Amino acid sequence: MTGEARRPRHNHVELAQRILDLALESGMAAGDRLPEQGLASRFSVSRTPVRAALKILAGQGVAVYEEDAGYRLAVDPSTIDRTRADLPETDEELVYAAVLRDRAARRLADAETVTGLMRRYDVSRSVVQTVLKRLSEDQLVERAPGQQWLFRPAPDDLEGLDESYDFRLALEPAALVAPGFKVDGPLISLLRQAMERLATADEATFDVAAFHRSDHEFHAMIAQGCGNRFVGEALLNHHRRRRTASAARTVGVFRLRQSTEEHLAMLDQIERNQMELASDLMRVHLRMSRSQRPRLAGRGAPTLLRALQRIPGAA
Amino acid sequence: MRPKVSASPLVAFFPEASFGAALNCVGIAQALRAAGARPVFVCHPGFHGVFAEYGFPEYHLNGAEALSDDGSQRYWDAFVLRHRDTFRLSPADQIEAYVVPTWAAIVDTAERVEAPLRQLLQRLKPDVVVLDNVVMFPAVAAAGVPWVRVVSCAETEIPDPLVPPAFSGCRVDDAAGQAAFRKRYAAAIGPVHERYNRFRVANGLPALPTGEFIEASPHLNLMLTPDVVRLRRAVPLAEPDFVFLDGCVRAEGPFVAPTFPRHDDAPLVFTSFGSLGSIDVALIERMIGVFSRLPYRFLVNVGAWRDAYRQVPDNVYLDSWFPQPSVVAASRAFIHHGGNNSFCEALYFGVPSLVMPYCWDGHDNAARAEEAGVGRRLPRYDWSDAALAEAVTALVEDGALADRLATVGRTMRAAEGTRRAAEAILARLG
Repeated sequence: MTGEARRPRHNHVELAQRILDLALESGMAAGDRLPEQGLASRFSVSRTPVRAALKILAGQGVAVYEEDAGYRLAVDPSTIDRTRADLPETDEELVYAAVLRDRAARRLADAETVTGLMRRYDVSRSVVQTVLKRLSEDQLVERAPGQQWLFRPAPDDLEGLDESYDFRLALEPAALVAPGFKVDGPLISLLRQAMERLATADEATFDVAAFHRSDHEFHAMIAQGCGNRFVGEALLNHHRRRRTASAARTVGVFRLRQSTEEHLAMLDQIERNQMELASDLMRVHLRMSRSQRPRLAGRGAPTLLRALQRIPGAA
Repeated sequence: MRPKVSASPLVAFFPEASFGAALNCVGIAQALRAAGARPVFVCHPGFHGVFAEYGFPEYHLNGAEALSDDGSQRYWDAFVLRHRDTFRLSPADQIEAYVVPTWAAIVDTAERVEAPLRQLLQRLKPDVVVLDNVVMFPAVAAAGVPWVRVVSCAETEIPDPLVPPAFSGCRVDDAAGQAAFRKRYAAAIGPVHERYNRFRVANGLPALPTGEFIEASPHLNLMLTPDVVRLRRAVPLAEPDFVFLDGCVRAEGPFVAPTFPRHDDAPLVFTSFGSLGSIDVALIERMIGVFSRLPYRFLVNVGAWRDAYRQVPDNVYLDSWFPQPSVVAASRAFIHHGGNNSFCEALYFGVPSLVMPYCWDGHDNAARAEEAGVGRRLPRYDWSDAALAEAVTALVEDGALADRLATVGRTMRAAEGTRRAAEAILARLG
């Protein structure tokens, strides 16, 4: 990875994101102060990383520094995309994304070593260790005896996808009706805006990457809101693994747009607190998403292939 | 008397169980839907899900068993082992080993679905039936509405004394090769053709001349053949019965290229051998080995066998499905099996083809690619690493070829084959 010296540290970017989340959750508006000491106490860190995080936000135009008053919010936090797309990327994030990309593309083996990853991505040991720690926390890798790290199974083949849908069909509808579902109103509003843009886009300009972002955020929101912590945690872990297998779930734009409309219908029911209805819609949504494309086809198949089996000397 | 056609006519598509025919019909159905018609799809057993993904209703034919999901993997593994070598044979040697058994299987299918197809068409009451197949189903003629034949295979499917025989891979100027192929084919096809004719007569259709399994529609015949590879004929296929579409490519969602760790800004080369062609994992692995040493990005469609691959090179990306028209449009070369859909899409987007055929009309399209100078032919198996590398490099780097194909592509896109097909179909409804 080049430009290592110019890139901010991973924990500073992460803290900047948490400050943004706090500003949104506490209903702050443009012009409100971002007190260094208050934020340091809130996140149990010293003022130094808070200052670095605020500097990152200022660099993105989200905050502004004033000589006498310190940092203030420059924009209304509800207008900011809560994905991390706008924040600068760190080496750790770039390598984390590259590992997931290369694993999904079957470029990385089932087992990898720290030195192998250092060599492949041209980064320091500490960067690779941070990435592996995060992958491990996300339950995407596990330490094997010796120097190796093993990738945990991801739904990246047809059988894995089937198992994934079975798992989600068992838990996602249940997550919506478990007592105590917490509705994240601001997040729902942001998701709705993004999905409405997708639902009205035409086929030629449909933003597939934006769909996958909103799809992940939508399903993660349901896991996070679930009143049953064990169900929520199991789903969150599973959604992280799904993100590592994006290559195996390429589907047509028609279905992606239809899927977006299903997401919007579920959001409607969640906001109306009609959780049974939302749960039923989720079951239908997952069944619709399960790919039904034939695995293989040819003239007259499958009759053709049965006939060919009978040909003497055809092998 | 035929009932009055509604303002929103119901168009029943019945494509054969292959992605080429299916997706070609999707293109025409999209244009019909845009024109206010109601396209629906009649699906062969075991071939469904494709049309629903484009938002079209699907109706399944009962009457022939489909493979169970559980047994399918073992079944296809066994198929690869048993029949991989069939695809190594010359077109002439494939007559007995592949073509005749394929026709036998196609006739089996036609016999098996005849009754359920009649029942379904009676129930659907379409205003028109669009048949994209290599065999005629008496139920289609018996439906009492106009029927449209779509010729989505190579133009050789409709015989003519000046046209090389279908599946021969012969060039137009290879008179001796054509004669030998015709003689061997006629000798081999007899029994299955006689069986098919008995089936036709028993179901109210007249027998067809030897070797023919489908007649021209008396209402409309849509020919996909691009003008640049059209063949001279003793008996021209004239309008209004025959409409040449100069390609027919469906609208597909956008393609966003994945990030490649190596050569990320290099020309893109797409490889797809169709659903049957992807079963030979060893062959594709060998090709990937060559790709890894070339300074280009490669997308490879590996069908249902994606999980069989490991240690994929940094300039190669595999997937089980791609939005093919959008990918071809972004490519500098397209390596395919000569399937008519793939060949048409390459020309439609002005992309040179490297055709590596293994069966059916792939051989014919490989010959057309060479004759028309729009690509190259390479044997599917008999190639050296250097030969494959040279062929790919030559196609990617040939600026003059790219310029000429760009003109071909512009002309084909301007012809709007899908819209033309939809208009021709609706015009036949009166």
